[in-house]
Amino acid sequence: MKNRPNLFTDYRKESSIFPNNTQKFWFAVLILVSCTFPFFLSSYWKLLVTTSLLTAIACWGLNIVSGLAGQINLAHGVFVGIGTYVSAIIGGVATSSVIGYELDMIIWLPLSGLAAAFVGILISPVSARLKGLNLGLVTLALVFIGSHFFSNLKFITGGAGLGRKAASLKFLGQDLEAGLQIGNVLLEKNDIIYYFSLFLCIVMGLGVKNLTRSKIGRAFSAIRDRDIAAEALGINLFKFKMYAFALASFYAGIAGSLLFTIAGGVEPGTFNLLYSIIFIAIVIIGGAGTVLGPLYGAFFFTTLPGIIQAVLHATGLSDTGFFLNAGEIERIVFGFFIIFFLIFEPRGLWGIWFRLRNYFKAWPFSY
Amino acid sequence: MSNVISFKDVSLNFGGVQALKNISFDIQENSLFAIIGPNGAGKTSILNCINGIYKPTNGSIEIFGEDTSNLEPDEIANAGVSRTFQNIELFENMTALDNILIGAHRHINYGPVQGLFFSKKARNEEEKARKISEDVIDFLEIEEYRYSYIISLPYGIQKRIELGRALAMQPKVILLDEPAAGMNNEETEDIARFILDIHEELGITVILIDHDMNMVMDIATEVVAMDFGEKLFQGLPEDAAKDQKVIDAYLGVSG
Repeated sequence: MKNRPNLFTDYRKESSIFPNNTQKFWFAVLILVSCTFPFFLSSYWKLLVTTSLLTAIACWGLNIVSGLAGQINLAHGVFVGIGTYVSAIIGGVATSSVIGYELDMIIWLPLSGLAAAFVGILISPVSARLKGLNLGLVTLALVFIGSHFFSNLKFITGGAGLGRKAASLKFLGQDLEAGLQIGNVLLEKNDIIYYFSLFLCIVMGLGVKNLTRSKIGRAFSAIRDRDIAAEALGINLFKFKMYAFALASFYAGIAGSLLFTIAGGVEPGTFNLLYSIIFIAIVIIGGAGTVLGPLYGAFFFTTLPGIIQAVLHATGLSDTGFFLNAGEIERIVFGFFIIFFLIFEPRGLWGIWFRLRNYFKAWPFSY
Repeated sequence: MSNVISFKDVSLNFGGVQALKNISFDIQENSLFAIIGPNGAGKTSILNCINGIYKPTNGSIEIFGEDTSNLEPDEIANAGVSRTFQNIELFENMTALDNILIGAHRHINYGPVQGLFFSKKARNEEEKARKISEDVIDFLEIEEYRYSYIISLPYGIQKRIELGRALAMQPKVILLDEPAAGMNNEETEDIARFILDIHEELGITVILIDHDMNMVMDIATEVVAMDFGEKLFQGLPEDAAKDQKVIDAYLGVSG
């Protein structure tokens, strides 16, 4: 049996994440290659990739509540905001206008996730009462409530237009603001954030995969597809919608806590409606309800400005005064892709990947 | 023998429409209880009331001697009542196996955090659920469809998988809403055989709705006939076939 890796002889093996050695090998290669990125990417691309990794975590959260459990959530950005500000309070520097306790990352990272999850649990009873668009409207209201709090709680957020510094990096007593010297290599602050993001992205991505192969993920999908049948099968809708909102907000909070440490500061106006909508768009483009989709979508969305800039630069259009600037092109392309994916490829980038993979698996035969 | 389910003067109104009118009956343990009647007689409403999806307007329903008026459908399900639906209510975007695993939901015992890490306990519980599901798959002879997505399966097989999903709950009572609807003779024969196996081999109380009179008369131990939300008849199947009110309801009365 040893030479037949795809012949499963027990149930456990069949439901494992990497059932054969080829997949394990390529996953390890992918991680190793990712670890070398800070050494050859420009600081701009490093920033884009780090943001992609963190955005992917937030999008996985939205994918849990909307993609898997089927509950419309227009307020995902607010949960990201909650994570950001909890981390900024606990880990940030106090000034004359804002509070901050400069505590260790080991404290603020989990707490920002848990705080967001707590708020998620608080609003989950609404989802037990309302379905579909009505639930969407309630979460829409949450965006405005969130924006109001964010701009008016000045001792936390610094107030609209001003903002505050994000949490500072201190890990296990080591101050990492100035970077870390290991032998001859100096890791800058943003390199360290990159490694933290990469680690979290892997761990939380595996978490989503675990959810989908567990009872929890199956119950979520059951609620999404047919809630009456799910209830008749003994699934407690209230409890599982609460789990979905809690997990989703936890992911958002964790992503939010690190997302603004790269730029160093955060302005409360960031967490507006558009910010929440972008997460939905990313999940749709990546592929809602799939495990890898949000990761693809996040990378696509975040690196799009970089790609457009590179294209403009290579073609010389940026110098000759093209009638659209990079930002405008980015918005048009992104909007076009949302429409394209909704109509032609509902399973998103993941769907394209899935078909390509199956095509080459069968190659040179057509099926 | 004790009563598994008893209806006590149950009425169900939707606005001005009376779906059930003062229905009373007892279903005994280990019976194969059939509910028959023309379209719109209120048969499915009875199942929905047992199941907790509808709450009776008047009267009460007791399941295993317990009043269910304050129980949610999932609580009734967890007490050991499972069901299939008239129009298949499978989760189409999942494989047959996943559907049956969802049926085994109540036997899997771990929380969301353990699910997130797929802890040792989660792994063991999943394996246990898989064994339950495989027993059901073996029982219903659907091994070859295990990994097929529901959309790609023919209607008769879908019906059988829905039955499998209900069986994976390992229920004490199973409610079957038209399991043989839309099937040819051969498939009906298969389903009838499975229902008898469920009843006799697994010892589950079966409550059956069907329009196939030959099948109902053959396998049922007790029959209730309904028309316009009223109970016309309760008794042995061979008596139902002779009862004038039942014949009138089915064939119509001249004049």
